[in-house]
Amino acid sequence: MGLPIPDGISSARRRVSISGTTDEENAVDPIISPIALYLICVLGAIGLGVALPRRNKALEITGGLLFAAAVGLAVLVFALRATNSGQPLPNYFFYPFAILALGASARMITHPRPVYSALYFILTIIASCGMYLLLSAEFMAFALVIIYAGAILITYLFVIMLATQAPSSGAESFVNETDAVAREPILAAGIGFVLLAILTTAMFRGIGDLPTAPHPELAQDSVLLSLPAKVDRILDRAGVLEEHERVVRNQDGTAALDIVSRTITIENTDLHTTRVVGADQWPESLSAGNLDRLGYNLMHDHPMTIEIAGIILLMAMLGAVVLARKHIELEDDLKAAQARKLGESMNQTAEAGNA
Amino acid sequence: MDITLAQLAFPEAVPAITTAHYLFVSTAMFAMGLVGFLTRKNMIIMFLCTELMFQGAGLALIAFGRHHLAADGQTFVIFVLCVAAAEAAMALALVVLLFRHKETLSAQAWKELNG
Repeated sequence: MGLPIPDGISSARRRVSISGTTDEENAVDPIISPIALYLICVLGAIGLGVALPRRNKALEITGGLLFAAAVGLAVLVFALRATNSGQPLPNYFFYPFAILALGASARMITHPRPVYSALYFILTIIASCGMYLLLSAEFMAFALVIIYAGAILITYLFVIMLATQAPSSGAESFVNETDAVAREPILAAGIGFVLLAILTTAMFRGIGDLPTAPHPELAQDSVLLSLPAKVDRILDRAGVLEEHERVVRNQDGTAALDIVSRTITIENTDLHTTRVVGADQWPESLSAGNLDRLGYNLMHDHPMTIEIAGIILLMAMLGAVVLARKHIELEDDLKAAQARKLGESMNQTAEAGNA
Repeated sequence: MDITLAQLAFPEAVPAITTAHYLFVSTAMFAMGLVGFLTRKNMIIMFLCTELMFQGAGLALIAFGRHHLAADGQTFVIFVLCVAAAEAAMALALVVLLFRHKETLSAQAWKELNG
């Protein structure tokens, strides 16, 4: 972001190796033993493949249990390995959210009724919002609940209810034929979980080489340097500034703050004098939250992307309007079938009225 | 056994092993979305499965953003959300159109589209 970096902090990026070994073969080992990872993938693939909708309901339940065993094994292996390696565990809340997210997404793709699928997807979203909160992305967590669970999924529910055939009077269950049986479940589950195994192996191998953040002590408040007017406002509210005073602006327009040593340089615009306020007077409220950082990043670093996102949304809206307005000529046999159905239902209501 | 938690206040860096935990969940969500997309015949559920894949990608973006203590991951999730909304609008309009043609949601009703 081109912010002034105070001296005294080495800008050298540290390479952190999890285990301290450079053995390429064991690179996955510190996170999870490869055998356990592949076992989890095989178990999950079999479980999910069997649990997908099929005629035999008992098999479906067995598959669900197998999948639950795979998730339980994954949690156990990950947690044990993290504890034994002397590395800090993720927050305990991670595990319930992860189990909820995985279980709900499995139920979503295995449930034969579309409305329930959509509801389970809402549960998945809420669980991943919990994980967003743990990852200090508060704004995105709530935005996700509002936009995804609140808007997009409700639209899905509307369309599901609009575009579902009413069950014919003779059918014994509400499940549509389209949803009753999955297509090639074992093969697809195999493909999905081979992908999972490959991706996780590749990621866990490389993750030890991931550079850590160069200046963690600057990560939170460095946005304040670029927002001198906001700093003025906060200081004014906190009572640090007196009449005609403001924070000194540097040559490049940044505020003259020192985030590490917590000093503020203030100038008097009338008398042209400056004074330095020390860490003891640094107000509590002078700090950047998640929303400040996200908003600044969005507007400062990605302005063009916002324009493109606007164009995408506009085009999608136009496309949806054009598609939905299209007049459809039904084929003759379909028309006849519809007319017959309508007649049947009218007869039924007439009979009900007579009785 | 001395257990320490990695999840501290924001500016604390998270160790790679914690990021790996989140990445496993995100990849598993993505894989399950893929399985659902391949197996289910109902067109609405197929598009719902693509949304699940978006969710997996979003979680990975947020986890990497937290690892690097940068806001870019969250910014990208906003754009993922944006694309997901656009996709939902288009997909649902398309599904309604196809449903009005054949009176069924089954993707197999459109077999003649096979190349």
